This record gives sequence, structure tokens and C-alpha cells, in this order.
Amino acid sequence: MEQANIENLVAQRSALIYLPIALSVATLFFVVASLSGEYQPVAKIGGMVWVGLLSLIVSMPLVTARMKKHLRSR
Amino acid sequence: MTQLSIAELSVPVNGMTCASCVAHVERALKELPSVFNVTVNLATNKASLRYDPVQVTLADVRHAVDNAGYIVPADEMTLDVRGMTCASCVGHVEGALKELAGVVTATVNLGMGTARVQYVPGMVTASQMKRAVNNVGYEAVERAASTSADAADRERQARQDDIRQQGRNLIIAGAVGLVVMIGTFYDMLGPLKAFIPEFLSYKWVIGLLTTPIVFGPGRQFFVNSWRGLKHGVTDMNLLYATGIGAAYGIAVINTLFPTAGFGGEGATFFESAALLTAFIVLGRWLEALTRGRTSEAIRKLMKLQPKVAHILRNGQEIEMPSDEVEIGYLIVVRPGESIPVDGAVTEGYSSVDESMLTGESLPVEKKVGDAVIAGTLNRTGAFRFHATKVGKDTALAQIIKLVEDAQASKAPIQKLADWVAGHFILGVHVLAVIVFMFWFFVGYRSFFDPNTSFILSPYKLGEMGVFGFSLLLSVTVLVISCPCAVGLATPSAMMAGTGKAAEYGVLFKGAEAIENTSKLQTIIFDKTGTLTKGEPSVTDVIASDGNPSALLRLAAIAEKNSEHPLGDAIVRGALSGGLSLVDADSFNSIPGHGVEAKVENTDILLGNRKLMREKGVDFVALMQQAEKLESDGKTVMFVAINGMAAGLVAVADTLKEHSAAAVARLHKMGLEVAMITGDNHRTAEAIARQVGIDRVLAEVLPQDKAEEVKKLQALGKKVAMVGDGVNDAPALAQADVGLAIGSGTDVAKETGDVILIKDDIRDVLVALEVAKATMNKVKQNLFWAFIYNLLGIPLAAGLFYPLVSVIISPEIAGLMMAVSSITVTLNTLLLKGFKPSTRHHEQTPGELNLRPIAIQAGIIRN
Repeated sequence: MEQANIENLVAQRSALIYLPIALSVATLFFVVASLSGEYQPVAKIGGMVWVGLLSLIVSMPLVTARMKKHLRSR
Repeated sequence: MTQLSIAELSVPVNGMTCASCVAHVERALKELPSVFNVTVNLATNKASLRYDPVQVTLADVRHAVDNAGYIVPADEMTLDVRGMTCASCVGHVEGALKELAGVVTATVNLGMGTARVQYVPGMVTASQMKRAVNNVGYEAVERAASTSADAADRERQARQDDIRQQGRNLIIAGAVGLVVMIGTFYDMLGPLKAFIPEFLSYKWVIGLLTTPIVFGPGRQFFVNSWRGLKHGVTDMNLLYATGIGAAYGIAVINTLFPTAGFGGEGATFFESAALLTAFIVLGRWLEALTRGRTSEAIRKLMKLQPKVAHILRNGQEIEMPSDEVEIGYLIVVRPGESIPVDGAVTEGYSSVDESMLTGESLPVEKKVGDAVIAGTLNRTGAFRFHATKVGKDTALAQIIKLVEDAQASKAPIQKLADWVAGHFILGVHVLAVIVFMFWFFVGYRSFFDPNTSFILSPYKLGEMGVFGFSLLLSVTVLVISCPCAVGLATPSAMMAGTGKAAEYGVLFKGAEAIENTSKLQTIIFDKTGTLTKGEPSVTDVIASDGNPSALLRLAAIAEKNSEHPLGDAIVRGALSGGLSLVDADSFNSIPGHGVEAKVENTDILLGNRKLMREKGVDFVALMQQAEKLESDGKTVMFVAINGMAAGLVAVADTLKEHSAAAVARLHKMGLEVAMITGDNHRTAEAIARQVGIDRVLAEVLPQDKAEEVKKLQALGKKVAMVGDGVNDAPALAQADVGLAIGSGTDVAKETGDVILIKDDIRDVLVALEVAKATMNKVKQNLFWAFIYNLLGIPLAAGLFYPLVSVIISPEIAGLMMAVSSITVTLNTLLLKGFKPSTRHHEQTPGELNLRPIAIQAGIIRN
């Protein structure tokens, strides 16, 4: 049971970190694409979604692993 | 301080498909407290670990694996338990069952008289559960039989189900994918168009055909990815799901909303999604086939034990499962039947084929008192025997465990490959982001050409927009970077190699043993019993007083209590000469020197020069004769009576038949060969000359052999020691690879990394050749697994696009990944045909020769 509680805590706290990271990277992409002025809205939004998705995939396991280590050591 | 108790556990793990899955399961298990030495093997689908059973239970292990997204399978069975009368009986029975390794839960119902047990198949059997209940005073009868052979059947069934499922997926994806491809390239079919309905070329029809492929055979990638992501892990399924999902999603958008700006009708990549799915499923199917085939060695061994045994009880013959035979039972074996357990013959006579276990090609005669081995085949006669070893103690069970443990272990090279593959996934996603951003912000503007086409396809991209083009390259990088074959490259070759070696009676104790054996530079052979037959005999007796018989008699009396082979030779020589031997009044053995004894008021000293020097006995008068005998390769023992030199006894051991040829072959392989012995230098060098050995380490005390090995290792060499596994244990343990020769089938007590069951020195060559062939296979597999990635990534990322305006499509990327899996699989299977150089003339061991049995049974004529 304690194990399950730790798992839930890890999942929740990790999400609070990696979701903003992915959103930030996606937003940064959108801002840069908008500032260059050359891209259609569809391309900017499509690119934002794709970059955000890949950033989420990259950050999720990294953050989750670190959070697990941190909570278990406590 | 609390004492840490350590137990070992090996559990099956289902659902792993790649090296990153292995890394995730290992990480999940390592996070448990008091868990050490975790090894997860993709090819055997097993996780092995050492743990403190006080802190961690099997349920914790299952939970950790489950949380990582994989499954430790569990079966259930019900036992009828008789004799329970109250709640404490329930506690006793439950406690007895839960103590068994492999039992997850045990629930006893007093009213119904049953025990419902949830257990991990392969870790515990029904007979073990019944025995545990019997041991606490109750009687248990199972409702469903479960034997170790059934566990093997279940494992085989699980693999067959996996192969069948992937095969079904492949047929659906391949067949429908072919139709999708025909529809996509309809305009290029020329005269063939007359045979193909035009509607197959409509985008929405192609979309409808692609949809069941993506959500049918392709569904496994999305489901597995989601399961992994929920636990914060990424694996190769995610690469496939991202690639297939992106291609399909964009194609749907461009079909339904062609003016939305995602590339239009020219960018409907339904065939990419369909064929990508088909090619990846092809790779999965091949991997499933490989896993099924390469664990055949274990299944072959497991199948050797017959399921039933014929027990003689109170004059009646009854049939019972082999797993339930106990020590002491009297068992009947008829011609053509396999022997169910280890035992000793009590009645009858026969010849037994032991080749499937020991590799011994000739049948072995068995008479009263002789040992028989479980799994061997009775050929011509009938006999009865008493069971002496049952269950996990039989030679067969020990050999299976050894091969299983070896196959579940990881070689250092595999740990590196798994680490690379596990971290590769994240790196690939980072690369995909970089590729996307480059082409989005820089590359499209600078290099895009509307006449761009795909490799191996006339299909042109036309007016594809910046997002569509960048996404295409990013998705292709994801797919082509997948190191799918890496996870299987090493373990599949190791399994094939250990299985191949076991066929010849060579048992590697782990994958690391194979890797180390392949790198050896120097081999040290122990002399007596390894290079020589270990049965020396007396050749010369020289007595100072001219009475050799009297001298031999006294020498034999002194050696009567000695366990040394040279002592045995003297005793045999005296007895064969008709000399009567009395017991010595006192006896003392001085290891590495000789013996001293007292009989009939006579002090006898018998041993080597060192002993005589230390005891101050002068042998000058006999030294010339001693040296002459030694230069002939004989071992000379000096005999002193009452402190005076009395004579010499020379003993010679015969070289084994193949010793010289084996040493010559080792030299040809580039190895340095050394010999270590307690004999004096002259004798040792004479033997070494006969057999062709370069370096002689003579007059080495038994306790110093390990030091000699260390000295050679200090020169930077990889050293192997070949010797008796029990007596040479320290030297075998010190060596980089210890080969225990002539162990027979009692492998459990042997020290060393490699066990040679037969007493045949050529098996050292077999071990070396199989190890080298296996490691070559590993390196080839890793090369093929990675080369496609290394060549494909720059192409997929568009590195050469500015020069040639050609790019790789996602489905070609998927095909290249499937081809890498095909290559690794086929390459591994080639190892099955490998035959060591010393065995080219023999038929493949383990093949049952049924001809004599068929003749005996009258089925065919002689």
C-alpha cells in the first residue's frame, strides 16, 4: 500500500513539472515561429503540437525518474 | 546488527519486446529495498535477482514488474487437503505453502478442505506443494497436475501464442497493406490498371483500408506506449506509435480537410502508415520466432525426463508422475523407456544411451550397483533401480539449471548494448525535435524542391508545406533510429551458443564465461588426470640392497592410507605382484612432499627430493639412476628406511589419447599452453615434450597453484586453468576462466566457469571454439543491428537532401528496421549448424538413434 501511495505521489508531482516544461517549449516554438512572420497559422500550431509532444516524451521519464529517487530517499 | 539473509529468485516476465523494456524492468526491481544483482534477459523472458526475503516478497517483485508495465504470470491450482480440523491447521498449511519460492498466495478453506494456491509457473510444482503440506502432517492431493515438464509446455505454449498472434497481425497488415500500395500507385500500373478497380485509388478508400491496419495489428504499439508512458517510461513502441500515428493523422487531415494547410491531397501518407505497420510487425514476428527457437536447448533437456515412472510397491507395479518419486522408491525400466530419476541398479542388466546428457556416443553397460541418470534412454534390457536423487537434485535438473542460469545471465558486452539501447530512445526523440526545428526554420526555405521524391519510389512531394515536410523527416528519423534488433542481438546469440555447447557436454556457467573464454591467451593444464589418464602404474623398482620386492612392499604399506594417485599405483603394483600388505602402525601425509609411516618398528619415508632434503637423507648414490628415469618422463619416488636411502620406485602415467593433438590445435589457435604439476622439473619437462607444451610449472605445491595462475595474469594475460573441479578449486577460481574437466554429471559441486562433463581433453577445444563462434555471432549481430541506424539516420534527417533531392519515406525506414531484425535472426540461426573442429566426423549429439530399438521391437530388420 505504501508502495502504491509513493507511486501516485511520484506521478502527480512529476506531472506538475514535465507538463509545464513541454508547454513552455511548445510556446517558445510558437513565439519564434510567429516572430519570424513567414508561417501560416496551421504550420505554427501544427509545429507547436509536434514539438510539445516530443518535449513531453523526452521530459516525462527524466522528471519521473528523478522524482522517484527523491521521494524514496526521503 | 541484523544479519542480512539473501535468497535468489528467477521469475518469468511477459510483455518485454526490446532492450529498453529490459532496462525498465531492471530499474523497477533495483528500486526495491534490499534487492541486488538484478539481471533481466529478453531472450529467456526472465528476471533474476538476489534479495532479502525479510524485506521483499514475491508479491513485491510482481508488483514492481507490474508497475513498470509488464507481467509476472501467475497460475492457480487447488489442492484437496485432508486431516485439517481447526483454524490452526489452516495456519499450518497456509504457512507451509507460502514458504515455497514461487507461491504468491495460498488460501485454505477449512470447510471445503481445499487450498487454493496462486503461484508462478516454473518456480514451484504441484509435487513440491504437496510435499510441503505432507511435511506439516496433512495429506494433499492436487486437482490439476503440474510438473516441470508442464511448466516447460506452458512456456512453449506462451511463445507459440506470441508467434501466432504476430503471424496473424502480419498476414492482416501485409495483405491489406498490399492492396493499399496498389491503390496508392494505381496511376503508375500501366496495362495492369485493367485488372484493378479504380475505386481502390480513391483517397478515402485507401484511408478506410489503412484504418483497420493501424487500429488492428498496429494497436499493440499504441497500447504498449500508453502503458509505458503512464509509468513514466519510454520504449521502442513509442517510436513506432509516434511514427504511425503522425503519418496516419496527417493523412486523415489532408483527406478530410485538403485546404487546411498540412500539405493537401499530395501529402496523404496512408501507405506510409500501412506499410510501416506491416514492416514493424514483420520484425516483431521474427523476434518472437527467434526467442522461441533459441531456448530449444532447455526444452530439449526438459523433455528428456519422462512424465511417468513405474514404481514397484508391495509387489505391484504402479504408475506415478516422475515428479512425485521419492528417494528409495524401486523403479522398473523396460527397453526403450527413459529413466525417470537418478538411481542405482538393484536387479537386471542393460545398456543405456547417455549421449543426450553426456555426449558419450557409445551406450554404457549397466549392471547391479551401477548408477543410472535421469533422462537417459534404456536400450536393450530391463532392470530395476532404487531412486537416489530426485527432483532438483538429479543430474538432469542440475544441468538444466546450469544452462538456464547461463542463458539468463548477461555478458559485459550485452550490458553495454542494453545501456546504449535504453538511453537511445530519449536521444532519438531529441534528435527528432532538432531535425523538425531545422527543416522548419532553415532547411525548407533553403533547400526544398517540389520535385523531391522518395527513395525507391516515383512518388513526388509536390507542393508540400513546411510543416508537412518537416514532420515527414522528423517521423522518419524516429522510425529509422529504433534499435529494435539490439535487444536481441546478444542474448539470442548467447542462448544459441550455450545450447550448442551443452549438446557436446560443455556447460558454461554464464554469458560472462563465454565472453571471457573467447579472449583467452594462455591455458594452463593440470598434469595428473587432465593431460594424463590419472592412473599411473609402477614401472621400475631399484633397491639399494638388491631386494626390490621387499622395498616395494614397504613402500606400498606406507602408501596404503594415502589418497594420492601415485600412492594408489604403488599399492596396486604391490598387490598385483602378490605381496601381502599389513596396516602401518602410524601414517602421516605431507602434502607436496610425500608420506611417512611406521610399521614393524621400521620408519619409512617415501616422497620427492624435497622431502629427503628436509629430512636429511642422502641419495647421491642413486641420483644418476633417478635422473635417468625422470628424463624418460617417469615420476620417481625416493624411499628411505630408518633414515637411510633404500631405493627408488618409478611410476609413469599414460598421456590421454588426444592430449598431444589438443595441444597442437591450441597452438594453431594462437594460444600459449602451460602445464602445472607437483612433479619435479625433469619429469614434467619430459611429459611436456611428449605433448608439445611450451611452458612448464613444476614442483608446485597444491596450495601454490593459484599463485602460479596469478603470476601469469600479472603479465597481462587472460589465463584459463583446466583441472579437476573439486581438487583444483583455488586455481580454477583464480583463473579468468576455470574449466573443470571430467566432472561427470554431478555438476553442482564443481568450481570453475566452464564444466566439461566428459573426461575428454578435446572438450577444451570445443569450449574455446564455441565461445569464439558465439562472440563472433554477437559482434556480427550488433553490427547488423546498429549499421542500419548509423546509415539510415543521416539519410532520414535529410543530410544529403540538398545534394540529391531524395528522401526516405517512413515505410522504407520501417522496412530497414525489419530487415535489421531479419538479419540478426537469420545470423543467429546459422550458429545451430556450427560443429567444433574435433567433432566434424560425429553425428550431432543428442540425436536419438532409434534403429537398435526398432530392430529389437521387430519394426525393421537388421
